[in-house]
Amino acid sequence: MGQSLAVRTSSGLAAGVRGTIEELAARDHTGEVITAIHHIPAREAQRVAVPDWVRPELATAYAAKGVTELYTHQAAVAERVRAGRNVVVVTPTASGKTLCYNLPVLNAVLENPDTRAMYLFPTKALAQDQLAELHDLGQRLENSFGVFTYDGDTPTDARRAIREKGHIVLTNPDMLHTGILPHHTRWTRVFENLKYIVLDELHTYRGVFGSHLANVLRRLRRIARFYGSDPQFICSSATIANPGELASRLIEADVDVLDENGAPAAEKFMVFYNPPVVNRFLGIRRSCINEASRVAQEFLKRGQQTIVFANSRLHTEVMLTYLREANPVPPGQPEAIRGYRGGYLPGERREIERGLREGKIRGVVSTNALELGIDIGSLDTAVMAGYPGTIASTWQRAGRAGRRSGSSCAVLVASSAPLDQFIVKNADYFFGKSPEHGYIQPDNLEILINHLKCAAFELPLGPQEKFGDVDLPELCARLEEAGFLHRSGEHWHWTQEVYPADTISLRSVTSDNFVIIDITGEAEVIGEVDFSSALEFVHPKAIYLHEGQQYHVERLDFQERKAYVKRVDVDYYTDAVRYTQVRVLECAEHASVTGPGGRAHGDVLVRSQVVGFKKIKFFTNENVGAGRLELPENEMHTTAYWMTLERPLVESLPFPISERQAGMFGLLHALESVATLLLMCDRRDLGTAIGERPPSPNVGVEFEEAPSLEEIQNLTQRRGERRGNAETDETKEYFEPNLYLYDAYPGGIGFSEPLFRVHDLLVAKTRELIAGCSCEKGCPSCVGPAGEKHERAKEAALAILARLCEER
Amino acid sequence: MPAGQEARAAAEQRPLGNTDALARIVGGEVRRNEYGEHVAVRRWYAEPESCSPKPEALRLLAPEAASALSDPQQWLFLDTETTGLAGGTGTYAFLVGVAWWDAGGLQVEQYFMRDFGEEHSLLLALGERLRERPVLVTFNGKTFDWPLLETRYRMTRAIEAQALRAHLDLLHPARQLWRMRLQSVRLTELEKHILGWDRGPDLWSQMIPQLYFDYLRGGAAEPLADVFRHNQHDLRGLAALSGKMLSLLEEPETADCEALDLFGLSRLLRRRGEMKRSRQVYERALAAGLPGELDRAARRELARLAKRERDFGRATELWGELAGIEVGFSSAPDARLKAASTSDGEMDTALEAYEQLAMYYEHQARAPQRAAALTREALAALGEALQTGNITAAVHRKLRARLEHRLERLERLERRAGRGTTIWA
Repeated sequence: MGQSLAVRTSSGLAAGVRGTIEELAARDHTGEVITAIHHIPAREAQRVAVPDWVRPELATAYAAKGVTELYTHQAAVAERVRAGRNVVVVTPTASGKTLCYNLPVLNAVLENPDTRAMYLFPTKALAQDQLAELHDLGQRLENSFGVFTYDGDTPTDARRAIREKGHIVLTNPDMLHTGILPHHTRWTRVFENLKYIVLDELHTYRGVFGSHLANVLRRLRRIARFYGSDPQFICSSATIANPGELASRLIEADVDVLDENGAPAAEKFMVFYNPPVVNRFLGIRRSCINEASRVAQEFLKRGQQTIVFANSRLHTEVMLTYLREANPVPPGQPEAIRGYRGGYLPGERREIERGLREGKIRGVVSTNALELGIDIGSLDTAVMAGYPGTIASTWQRAGRAGRRSGSSCAVLVASSAPLDQFIVKNADYFFGKSPEHGYIQPDNLEILINHLKCAAFELPLGPQEKFGDVDLPELCARLEEAGFLHRSGEHWHWTQEVYPADTISLRSVTSDNFVIIDITGEAEVIGEVDFSSALEFVHPKAIYLHEGQQYHVERLDFQERKAYVKRVDVDYYTDAVRYTQVRVLECAEHASVTGPGGRAHGDVLVRSQVVGFKKIKFFTNENVGAGRLELPENEMHTTAYWMTLERPLVESLPFPISERQAGMFGLLHALESVATLLLMCDRRDLGTAIGERPPSPNVGVEFEEAPSLEEIQNLTQRRGERRGNAETDETKEYFEPNLYLYDAYPGGIGFSEPLFRVHDLLVAKTRELIAGCSCEKGCPSCVGPAGEKHERAKEAALAILARLCEER
Repeated sequence: MPAGQEARAAAEQRPLGNTDALARIVGGEVRRNEYGEHVAVRRWYAEPESCSPKPEALRLLAPEAASALSDPQQWLFLDTETTGLAGGTGTYAFLVGVAWWDAGGLQVEQYFMRDFGEEHSLLLALGERLRERPVLVTFNGKTFDWPLLETRYRMTRAIEAQALRAHLDLLHPARQLWRMRLQSVRLTELEKHILGWDRGPDLWSQMIPQLYFDYLRGGAAEPLADVFRHNQHDLRGLAALSGKMLSLLEEPETADCEALDLFGLSRLLRRRGEMKRSRQVYERALAAGLPGELDRAARRELARLAKRERDFGRATELWGELAGIEVGFSSAPDARLKAASTSDGEMDTALEAYEQLAMYYEHQARAPQRAAALTREALAALGEALQTGNITAAVHRKLRARLEHRLERLERLERRAGRGTTIWA
């Protein structure tokens, strides 16, 4: 930190973003708010000549775009690809990575027009962006190659032409999975000549999505082999600790890692901002949303073009409201501050992107939708409201600010969440060598079996085949028993009427969307929201925010997947309350731990339901009302790791029942934080719940009743938590709780068993986290916010941990 | 070892002939070719009788392929039974039935795979038949059966799909001809209502994939006999249907059928560009008496045809009927369109009639005042329709703009005509 802060004391900060940073630093009287100012000096480009094997017309086309020499990393990638190697290039934003794959691929197409390549992007929008770049090159090359996007939006009548004439097909993993592989006979020409597969934004393929993709790629290689081709992979990734490992797990082959960046960069500052503590007793800091808006405003008012990142749609809209109020435009003038997120319609998004490039839009508040690739030009400043969850995405968001010349700046405003606090207080951890690993589990049985079904549908499974590291004949036999496959000779064939890929989503539980219809005047579709978040955002009576405008949800048509909203102007927003129950279906493994207690993992059924909502006033965050909701329940089979606190342990705690329970919830909160660090996963990948240990293995007993209106009102700020009704029920003397950490994904993504194995470490680190927290009686960074009724939550959690850590 | 070779190796161990339980039950035999074995069934039916299509009828049925179709000896009727309707590479055609005209009747031949390993052998046999008769006749085969078989051929990486000389898919003409009478134009429905056949108890076609899967997993062969029979029925129905369509199209003007079918026939003729003949059949359909909604639709279409042929007498007569006014009188306020009582389609038809009449009076009869009066009536009716909710706001907006534009022009004409009168008076 000392080295980072050196910049602060030097009086060299002049105009531009430097001035703004200086101003922010000057206001930090305690020195606790700005925890780091990291200066990244400008860097010279390292260039080499275009290799002589590049076709002259291609070199000319690039020269016409101003590329007469290559950055060293671009040349290195091109050479390796030409030598037939699989590569992964690790580069920061705006370092010319597109050329890394376009150059060798286009060269190969120009050398042999039969050559085909497939580019996979994690989102449709990224593919669109690449299409523009390739069209530009295509025009300069007299349209000697065909390039098309193939996704859900591709018109049916255009598809045939794409399959026949496209040299480069830009698509996404989902389309490959449901649209291309199951119909590979229509793609014969592509598969027979498939030379290259480009995997862009490789680091996004981790966890669930990555585990799925690895299996989709197994299927792809199988089909390619069937048509006699063996494609090479060109991958690009943001900086992570193990790009080579992740890439080779994904493609199941050796990969060369190229991470020497030769691109130039202008000077840049990265600032860590920790909102001031307003209540040291409760460990409460000022809202990160309010503070981030304030910081963004400092830049905006000095005319610096700024992008603000929020971690949720709700926060996007809240900050947009703040910033628009602070930057009023004369009537009739277009808004200078805009919002941007997934639910906006495509046309609106293109318009915003253009406005940003042209500088007409001075500020934009976005979700992670603008984190990757989309061309919005380069801005002066990026402000992040809350830690994006990983160091890699923090750098990608920060990379949105960065002029060719002059300084730029990125500010990370921490929330009270444990990870945020950890990051801003440990700058060395952040600025050192990346500690982040991308992990996937392609052999997760749930995921693998699904793809094995798809593979069998695509092509009968042969006797010598391999599909992941599993006993294939054994799995096939199981699938035959279940009626999915049939063995004929030595081959396994698909024997179901259904189309397996249709029911398997690579990213989420379901691909359902709710359409949002504004019925203030003539009915008009204003956006959409995906199934899993629909009940949280567009439940009846919710305030739905879109482009800073508030809408009241009049009616939610669950069957038709439609939400009818009307424009309103109120001073509050709503926050949904989710209620979760876990039932153990089968315990896979169980062991005793000191305490006494138990640790276990196995299959569970998770039911969750949005049971109510709270109305929260803007600016003051006061709770101004609540409502109950009767909405359908969501059910999910998954895997969980859980810890049982046995009766002697619970009884030995020198606290009344309500405080013991508060301690348990606090402990769970901290356990979850530590688990995400240990697993290198997203907080969203894990769910938590507390339930009573079942009296017998097959009967689960949980908090059965839905909460009362009063209870909803008293719930803590954080969503998804409920301090069960047992706290009001003193008769439950023999409560033996299970603390569940479940995989928030149907079927599980393989976190439960690792957690079971690292139980001791998990408990020890959790104890360190809570014990090391500077708050007095619990705060969001350790056991969660301290409530009036639960003053001793932190103390109780530590007492439980002390028992769990006792030497045997 | 590829599936084909494997099956061949296995096949060489087994005796040929109808020793196979399934072959016995369905009255077929096990056949062997270079890719292994499959079961084949051959059956001749006196019904339907062979047909020899008239070139004229063929031209109306399939204008794009009439010459390729001219020799019915080249026709091969085809219908598949599959493991699902989803398509894609994991859907198999486990039973492929073909048929051709022979000895005055219909020769049916079916190829069946007792297991997936027999697919190559089945496809080879089918390919040989297709080479002899490369003109395919199917029902929905352009969308379903043939692409599926093409996929199966590609999956072999060894046997090429036979190039077709022509492919006549009867689904589309069947839809044009009979959708108005029958809600559904599935082959079984056509068989029942158009051919007047009674299939007797037939299996529910959704069951077919499961019956096959059960058999594959060692289930009894007997239930599959129903599938073979079902497929034979479909092929006979398909062949008979082609005959029925062709005879109907031999002399459509005098074809003996009910009003709704005449309407369908007239539409088909119109689509083929046979305007005169189409009009004749429209007139016959109207004379035979169509139910309300369809009667209006037929009049509207006929009026358009008449206008196109500049038969304004008949056209205005029809529009008058549609608008509910008598043409020839200066005005008929009482007969004005009752917007409140009309349905969506009726409203639409009536408004078109008004508009067309106005156009006629403006441009043909040169009676702008009459045209203007009609336009005003149409506007009034349109307003009422909006109030009663018979049309949507968007449609109303569009129509009103068009009518107002016309009225403005007509009123300008009237004024100019008015001025003219004063000058000359």
